[in-house]
Amino acid sequence: MRFAFTEDQIALRDATRDLLAKECPPKAVRAQWEGEEPGPSSAWRALAEMGVLGVLAPESLGGLGLSELDLVLVLEETGYFALPEPIVEHAAVAVPLLNDLTTALTGTEIISATAPNSDLAPGATLAHSFVVGDENGLALVERGQVEIGLCESVDQTRSLGRIKWDSKSGQRLDDPRGKGQARGLVGISSQLVGLTRRMLDMTVEYVIERQQFGVPVGSFQAVKHHLADARIALEFARPLVYRAAWSLATDDPDYEVHASMAKAMASDAALLAGRKALQCHGAIGYSFEYDLHLFMKRAWALASTWGDARSHRSRLAQVIL
Amino acid sequence: MNIAVCVKQIPDPAVPGELNPETSALKREGKLILDDSDSYGVEMALQLVTAAGGGEVTLVSMAPNNETSGLRTALAMGAAKAVLVSDDTLAGSDALSTAKILAKSVERVGDIDLVLTATESTDGYTGTIPAQIAEALGWPSLTFAKSVAIADGKVKIQRQTEAGFDDVEAPLPAVVSVTAGVVEPRYPSFKGIMEAKKKPVDEVTAGDLGFNPDQVGWAGSHQEIVEVRAAPAREAGEKIEDDGESHARIVTFLEGLKII
Repeated sequence: MRFAFTEDQIALRDATRDLLAKECPPKAVRAQWEGEEPGPSSAWRALAEMGVLGVLAPESLGGLGLSELDLVLVLEETGYFALPEPIVEHAAVAVPLLNDLTTALTGTEIISATAPNSDLAPGATLAHSFVVGDENGLALVERGQVEIGLCESVDQTRSLGRIKWDSKSGQRLDDPRGKGQARGLVGISSQLVGLTRRMLDMTVEYVIERQQFGVPVGSFQAVKHHLADARIALEFARPLVYRAAWSLATDDPDYEVHASMAKAMASDAALLAGRKALQCHGAIGYSFEYDLHLFMKRAWALASTWGDARSHRSRLAQVIL
Repeated sequence: MNIAVCVKQIPDPAVPGELNPETSALKREGKLILDDSDSYGVEMALQLVTAAGGGEVTLVSMAPNNETSGLRTALAMGAAKAVLVSDDTLAGSDALSTAKILAKSVERVGDIDLVLTATESTDGYTGTIPAQIAEALGWPSLTFAKSVAIADGKVKIQRQTEAGFDDVEAPLPAVVSVTAGVVEPRYPSFKGIMEAKKKPVDEVTAGDLGFNPDQVGWAGSHQEIVEVRAAPAREAGEKIEDDGESHARIVTFLEGLKII
């Protein structure tokens, strides 16, 4: 068995990384935060043009017909750059469940989704439709068919909305064995891994540059230990996220269990990296003008959505015990 | 309309470069990437071929160790095929030898209407190769194009000058160097990336192109690296005490930089 990504998977990740480095710098994320640029960002349009939104769509519908394992590294990069749009909900949850993808693959239609057992959806001001769920399964509802109550989020780029829908409205979606929700879980987990990497990278860069007592603060053992702790959490979470993607791609019967493991570990890693990053940055880490909070607050939001670490550990306990 | 684009594969500029202490040449052992300045030529070529309604874009490159990573990026953007000249005897080739090899590669492709290059590479900066390729091919050389158009068997460019631009035209076939920013390079699509590795790369040696080992590499080089020195540290700026007339000094300073 091969335990490494293929050349193609690495190439798709690198291409996404190059695109986002140019199109989604912190300045662009901040512009969304401050409501300066309503509407989808240039990064969203470029990602759609690149074909990212159709990775999981069948070729017969204009997609690439690839698997969750091909998408996981790409979504990790969207976390690293804190892409504001709900790409996990659109590309990982909605796209594989739909039969008509004409406008979804070009990105002109944005589809968001509520997390399981929740009526909150990100990208509520942007989305044209929503994947929602009830005891009968999932459904696609148009924006005009629902009531949207905008909510405060710790991460203001998320434009979080409370979606009220009538279970008789909308189009019912066929979601055998809850794969749509497992894809969402793994997608959010991969974004958390990306955010963890980003906060660690920013902090390493900062502690090398910031001098105290004539030396970089990163040379102090106490600072090194914080960063090593965050790195260990990252390296423990990452393989679980990749394994969950592999399980989905290969129809492993335990993919839901693996998705829960991924979300629990990725949430913990991102929260820990956020705490360590904030502490190692000192006072500047708290300032709104410094970019760290863009990533840290996204991590807080994603760690608690789609079930937090504790709820996924409970779910695992029920399966194991 | 068939277009050849000369592309260089260079060490990643994000990683600090190193010189070989024996030869003072840039080390190129690791993975190479497409020189960013060449992505403009690739994009321009793709747009010209589309506008012409037919034809294809062929990449021409010279690189050590049969390196194709940078070529794959340009193939993913939409180029149809590539010629890669790779051969240990080429190490140390100067600009003129490189231009002769690239010109022979263009001839090997055959049926080329236009050759596009960048104005200079990001790691070499000689800026002489475009004109040298044109001379080796016996074709017109048009340089510093900020726009390129093809019509009636001619290539028409706007040639960037310090004061603005000149309109220049030449009959095809011709060699044109394009400036960065001539067009906005596209991002390679996922489909393009996956198809790129199936596209043909014609890997040839200097010998295949008719060169003897003494005509290329260190042996055939007419240039020599005599000395390498660290770049001088930046000098402190000029301080002006404002006597009410300092605005005039600022205007003179900006005029000197040709900013205004």
